Amino acid sequence: MNSGDFKYQNADCRMQIEKTGIRKLSFCSLISAFCILHCAVAAHALPLYRDSLPNGLIVITFEEPRLPVIDIGFTCRSGSASDPDDRGGLANLTVSLLNRGAAGMSGDSIASVIDFLGARYNAGAGLDQSGLSTRVLAKDWQAGLGLLSQMIRNPSFDPKEIEQAKSLQSAGLRRSLDNPGFLVRYEFDKLLYAGHPYRKNPYGDTLSVAAVTRGDVAAFHKTYYVPNNCFIIAVGDIKRADFLAQVKAGFGDWQPGVVPAVPVPELKYPDKLRVKLIARPEVNQTYVQFGHPGISITDPDMLATRLGSYALGGSALSSRLGIAVREKEGLAYDVRSVFDRSRYPGSFWASVQTAKPKEALELMFHEIQAMHDSGATQAELTRAHNYYTGSFPLSYSSNEGKLQSVVLIELFRLGYDWLDKFPERIRAVTLDGISTAMRKHLQPGHYIMVVLGNVTKDDLGLKDVEWIE
Amino acid sequence: MKRIAFAIVLLAAVGARAEEDIESRVTEFKLKNGLEVIVYVDSSAPVVSTDVFYKVGSYDEQAGYTGLSHMLEHMSFKHTDIYKPGDFDRLVDSAGGNNNGFTSDYYTGYYEDFASDRWETALKIEAARMAKCVFPDSEFESEHQVVSEEQRLQENRPISQFYLQFGAIAQLVHPLRNPGVGWPDDVRRFTVSAVRDWYQRRYNPANAVLVIAGDVRPADAKLKVEKHFGKLAGTPVTRADYYDLEPKQIGERRLVMRRKVKVPQVLIAWHTPGVRDSGYVAGAVLGGVLAQGRNSRLYKTLVIDSGLAVSVGGYNWVERDPDLLRLYITPKSDSFIPRIERLVDREVERMKTELVSDREIEQVKNGVLAEHVFDRDDVSGMAFLLAANQILHGTWREYKTYPEQVTRVTKEQVRDFCRRYLTRENQTTGVLLPQKEER
Repeated sequence: MNSGDFKYQNADCRMQIEKTGIRKLSFCSLISAFCILHCAVAAHALPLYRDSLPNGLIVITFEEPRLPVIDIGFTCRSGSASDPDDRGGLANLTVSLLNRGAAGMSGDSIASVIDFLGARYNAGAGLDQSGLSTRVLAKDWQAGLGLLSQMIRNPSFDPKEIEQAKSLQSAGLRRSLDNPGFLVRYEFDKLLYAGHPYRKNPYGDTLSVAAVTRGDVAAFHKTYYVPNNCFIIAVGDIKRADFLAQVKAGFGDWQPGVVPAVPVPELKYPDKLRVKLIARPEVNQTYVQFGHPGISITDPDMLATRLGSYALGGSALSSRLGIAVREKEGLAYDVRSVFDRSRYPGSFWASVQTAKPKEALELMFHEIQAMHDSGATQAELTRAHNYYTGSFPLSYSSNEGKLQSVVLIELFRLGYDWLDKFPERIRAVTLDGISTAMRKHLQPGHYIMVVLGNVTKDDLGLKDVEWIE
Repeated sequence: MKRIAFAIVLLAAVGARAEEDIESRVTEFKLKNGLEVIVYVDSSAPVVSTDVFYKVGSYDEQAGYTGLSHMLEHMSFKHTDIYKPGDFDRLVDSAGGNNNGFTSDYYTGYYEDFASDRWETALKIEAARMAKCVFPDSEFESEHQVVSEEQRLQENRPISQFYLQFGAIAQLVHPLRNPGVGWPDDVRRFTVSAVRDWYQRRYNPANAVLVIAGDVRPADAKLKVEKHFGKLAGTPVTRADYYDLEPKQIGERRLVMRRKVKVPQVLIAWHTPGVRDSGYVAGAVLGGVLAQGRNSRLYKTLVIDSGLAVSVGGYNWVERDPDLLRLYITPKSDSFIPRIERLVDREVERMKTELVSDREIEQVKNGVLAEHVFDRDDVSGMAFLLAANQILHGTWREYKTYPEQVTRVTKEQVRDFCRRYLTRENQTTGVLLPQKEER
């Protein structure tokens, strides 16, 4: 179960989460002139600083001394969208291998240091990026950063480790595919993004992961793990000058490279409703996801679209879809709609899991059409304004939240006035703005749909359909 | 060796500093109606998290009524004397907050996170939920269906089904065997009158803990708490104590489940003592040495050396009553399972004869100490931890002292714990296997 907003005590409490009912799912110095190309000290009130080394590595420090803890995040601006077509999962595999041996240290030795420091460590790839992060006690940050620099720059890619990492990734993917909800999303993405780099799931598929060789991993690393394609962030009880000096020591002589662009074709809206039906007689609910192309996170309409989307399907309880499908009719536990936020236009999608798919889909189609035709109401706009401006401080009150916010800002180049200006920009979104955005970016009926369950075509009550066999 | 000891001293110092700090940040008081209140001050961000936990969960449910606390949790968001269905969420959303509810074994919890200039809204909501819920018949059926759909989601995930079935086999009679959402037939039979009755019996100030964490002044918080909760009537609730209910296991148990899955799973567990046994903490260290992280014994044996498994994890999950030390193993192939089981046996037996190394034990302790400091990054998480500890142990200070208890665990205690509890007759083994395709 997606832990979402559920607050739990122990990251290992898998069993407990399975046992626990929750009401709703929710959507997670030495600053010297010779070593710095330019220092863009943030002009706003937050102690947030962005510097860059001559080799192009961006170094960001968020000074937050309230706890003796430091979070360090490293991001490479290339993710699964950069995987070769027949090597889906390569970006994730590459980043997963960084702590499995580097600079003469074995994977065991690295794990031993991380564990002994009591540090947390995470790594993984998304569509647009590969990243790792570590959380250490403040007294250990130099040891932690020293280790990270070796892992990032000089990974061993030991063949035995590669085989273990492939097995783990492949098992993780296959285990996820046992979950009907994941399978439906997986199939939906493959259909919507046919011929597009976003069709490649970060975990790849079982064949593509099996095909990956050491040469593939080394080539991916050599091409994309270059300083001008990466940035590193520290949040916590640390001074900008100290962090910068240490990053310079660990990464200053890292050589830049030429990063190939990812060819991104324009996504096409389907002419009509196109549906793939996956028969699963043993499943006692019908899982549905449908949608069409969406927009990029940097699209000028993004905020208006976000507010409209919040009113439409942002919450399984209080959005239009939530009220119609869950609260009034009790047809589902979770129903939602989302505009993905990604570098290139992603998707708009809506999903539901229900024993009565025909009824639920009728309601969902109706609500999306109404939002397309008439936009949001004044009450919805006010609520969305209040929600986004009010919840904004919550999202970066913790160091972890700050790290995630800064990664997004830097990755998508949202601008360092983002944190300061966000509430103002939200308030500037008008009803007209939402109406225009919804008319432009929602295309009711032009959906790709994936349905999984113990249902027949007739059970769904869909009209004018092209079935995908 | 000296270097390691020095590192521990340093870490312990960091931990101790953090704990003193916690003590100075907490104000606790009790209202006349019995409501226990904990205020935790952290003004580093303008945020306040408010949690109300009730001393009721799946632990308290009688046979035939499993999942009732969870059903009540859903219904408690619906209707009060002045609020209509959806109002709680509208209030929270329009003030830019986060909220949710959840039902666990020992407690049912609700929280609201707000910016600190508007957190009093949380008290209004929670006071209404505590005393003023009404459950119109007309609103029950649709929420009953929602809960049924939630349960189906769980049923349709084979791994979830496997874990739930396993829990029910490992624990014969103790209520920890039951899923929080309830067993399907029980959920189907719920009535609105059962929900009303459960609410009347369990939701009142004398059966709840309120935690306010974040950018607040304790005196101001106290005034506000008095204002919203002071007039509510408190009725003490006697909670049944099932601490010793589970009979001693006298023979190995086994679950073999075949489902349409692509990846097999192995789960092995042993009954371990609850918190009233002072030695229970050694189980956490044992779980860590055996199965947490790449340097754990079983990871090395099963993943690195033999290559039979792709992942290994495990922990001694004991919140209060005796529970289980569990090992989770994902085999590379179901045909490897017998060999995996033999190697687990071997490693467990080795733990009974050889003492763990200094480094192994210190590594686990360091992790616990560091996590204790990391917890404080998030006031919302801190509110949860303090509320949960207050309910489970009768005092939030158990949260503070737990790392100290862990640091006192000796190698001999780890070995003795293993000898005493990780025995064949005390073991339950579960395997989830891919169903053979019909031809």
